Amino acid sequence: MVGLLVQLKLRLLRNALRSSTAAKASFIISTILACVLAILVFAGLALLRGHSTAVALTSITFTVFAFGWLILPIFAFGLDSTLDPANLALYPLRTRPLVAGLLAASAAGAWPVANVIGLLGATVGLAHGAAGVLTAVVAVVLEVLFCITLARFVTTSMAGLLRSRRGKDFAAFLIVPIFALYEFFIQVVPKVASEGKITAATFSGIDSWMRWLPPGMAAHAIKDASDGDPSAALLRLALLALVIVVLGVLWIRALRRALVTADTSTQRSRVRASALPFARYGLRGTLAARFWIYQRREPTSLIYWLLTAVIMVAVSASSIVGQNKHPGVLLASAVFGAAFVGFFHANTVGLTGPPFLQEAFALSSRRELRAYFSGQNLALAVIAVPLLAAISLGLAAAAGHPASAPNGIAVDLAGLGAALAFSDIFTVVLAYPMVKRAGSPMRQAAQGYTSLGLLGVLGTLGGVAVAAAPVIVVAVLVSGHAAVRVPALLVSAAGYGIALAWAGVRIAARAAEQRLPELCQVAIRSTL
Amino acid sequence: MNQPAIAVRGLRKAFGAKEAVAGIDLEIAAGSLAGLVGPNGAGKTTSLSMMTGLLRPDSGQILINGADVWADPPAAKAIIGVVTAEAKLFERLSGEELLEYAGRLRGMPTTDARSRTGQLLDVLDLTEDAKRLVADYSTGMRKKVALGCALIHNPSVLFLDEPLEGVDPVSADVIRRLLTRFAASGSTVLFSSHVMELVEQVCDHVSIIDKGRIVVSGTTAEVRGGKTLQQAFIDLVGTRATDEEVLSWLGSSSS
Repeated sequence: MVGLLVQLKLRLLRNALRSSTAAKASFIISTILACVLAILVFAGLALLRGHSTAVALTSITFTVFAFGWLILPIFAFGLDSTLDPANLALYPLRTRPLVAGLLAASAAGAWPVANVIGLLGATVGLAHGAAGVLTAVVAVVLEVLFCITLARFVTTSMAGLLRSRRGKDFAAFLIVPIFALYEFFIQVVPKVASEGKITAATFSGIDSWMRWLPPGMAAHAIKDASDGDPSAALLRLALLALVIVVLGVLWIRALRRALVTADTSTQRSRVRASALPFARYGLRGTLAARFWIYQRREPTSLIYWLLTAVIMVAVSASSIVGQNKHPGVLLASAVFGAAFVGFFHANTVGLTGPPFLQEAFALSSRRELRAYFSGQNLALAVIAVPLLAAISLGLAAAAGHPASAPNGIAVDLAGLGAALAFSDIFTVVLAYPMVKRAGSPMRQAAQGYTSLGLLGVLGTLGGVAVAAAPVIVVAVLVSGHAAVRVPALLVSAAGYGIALAWAGVRIAARAAEQRLPELCQVAIRSTL
Repeated sequence: MNQPAIAVRGLRKAFGAKEAVAGIDLEIAAGSLAGLVGPNGAGKTTSLSMMTGLLRPDSGQILINGADVWADPPAAKAIIGVVTAEAKLFERLSGEELLEYAGRLRGMPTTDARSRTGQLLDVLDLTEDAKRLVADYSTGMRKKVALGCALIHNPSVLFLDEPLEGVDPVSADVIRRLLTRFAASGSTVLFSSHVMELVEQVCDHVSIIDKGRIVVSGTTAEVRGGKTLQQAFIDLVGTRATDEEVLSWLGSSSS
């Protein structure tokens, strides 16, 4: 079973590589990134040698990795493309060998290997003596095994949640608190650290409870063995192994349930609306109406808006909780908020999936395609403008800088225009199929298209930052009487944003006219 | 003779080394209800995708009422309606909203789109479910509402890929009657299927496709040649596994 599933995974990978150059490029980039991660983490952990906080930092690193394993398969770009248990449900397989096989298949791949190699840095940084190094190797293997089991358990048990359509809709929202926590770690923690509020004592403080988490136990086992306390080390490793076994058993149960529970959505729901809103405003109004309805009824769209709000708050949170209340952070918040609106919609065709064909059958001239993009932009702007403005206002008030709120709103408007322009253009030139995997509430780039997705993210982030730069410069440099300055700033920022979005619509429509059949193929290959 | 409603010449498409459609020529007269039959993987869906502007052919020409699908897509697309095999629709719209949306996308005035929506819902027996989300529809209901979307702008040529796949008998009857009536009015229907009985019952023109080529094409009576269509099809395409000795272990009598 183990050999078979590992072979299956390798063969799937090989076939994906053979099928397209995009997949090949994506695989190579992903492998390079994995190598870079492995080297950086290894070096980072190795450099801790002799440092007083070595064990605390190793313990924290191990925990962060476990957390990453928990989060990334759910919302990121499908780093771990392990087999969907639903594909195996019809074969007469006993759950136990199936689990071993799936586990082995999860472990086969560039990222898990990179994980092991990176964390082996602890053999240099933390371990002393033969016993220490030996313990470190065992501890790292157990740690990665723990990460994989944890990730598999969580995703499989979420699959159980996703029975009815409503259940699916509801479960999808779980992503928001997880994402908020994640943002706290990557945005707030480093900021507080850079203000010198994180010291050796802080690490020991965190470690005092983290050492009792399974990853912390792995790190402390290495320390114990190096300090000549093999029994304590063995005890910790045994505990860790026990946790893995328990998780494995829970996973087996969840898997057994997931294999036999089908989608039973029979719930009836009715909509109140009797007709499409704003459909009387021509083709653009019709398209805007469709996008508008989807923003409300599609959980993914709602989640995207919530995540945008979380991002904006997280970027500014460091300035609100920190001593250094710099108003510039508010502008960064605005750029991020706008950029996320853009990149969440930077692959509309893949995100719409096969229903896009219905639109493609009706749209073909450049004028009609302009209506498609401007209709979408209108629907997004109707939500984004008040949302971003309100958050900027709130953040400015919370940071004790209410006067700088107009600057933030100006950057919101300009950034939003740029974001909509980039999302329209990327929707055409970087279109890629998206899939929704069992157990994951979010749509991800189909296998082999991860790097296209990443390119869209980085392109939108960078592009919005560059496009918003003039407004940031003007907002910071130009002073004057508020009664004149604020309206002038807001109107010119809005005008600039509208001009950018307008240009984006024209460029996108021109490109889409040539690529419509290709976009249709992307839509067909998306499974949502 | 008027120009044919659908004229396909030298249509080819290869995916890598595999030639999915290897030179198809086809003419369907206006007012015809034509069936395109063939085994799985014969190139039915690929051909229909190219005829409807979804998939770029490697070579060949497709004219719909004289409009070239690939040289002048807007002109051709304006006069066709399409129901794809999986009938994936905008799930978060209600049936009523979806039909109105389809009409508005085709540039119909709001009042017309709404009145036709009501009539189509009625004919398709979906009035009761008009306000439910398409996400909660059964396969039969999806196919029916997809057909409604493809018909709302009154196309001259309608393409359907496996219209009755997975559809219950009652819905199938609704779809069949609607198609017959539509063709009787002078419009043209081309659909793919591997349900021979259906094709035999409703089609006046049949083309059999195998391994990317049209094996035979003509009126249903010509193609049948006195046999049932099922038999004619199997004779032409050939059964694949003939040696029953090979499977001697199959069945409950042997171990």
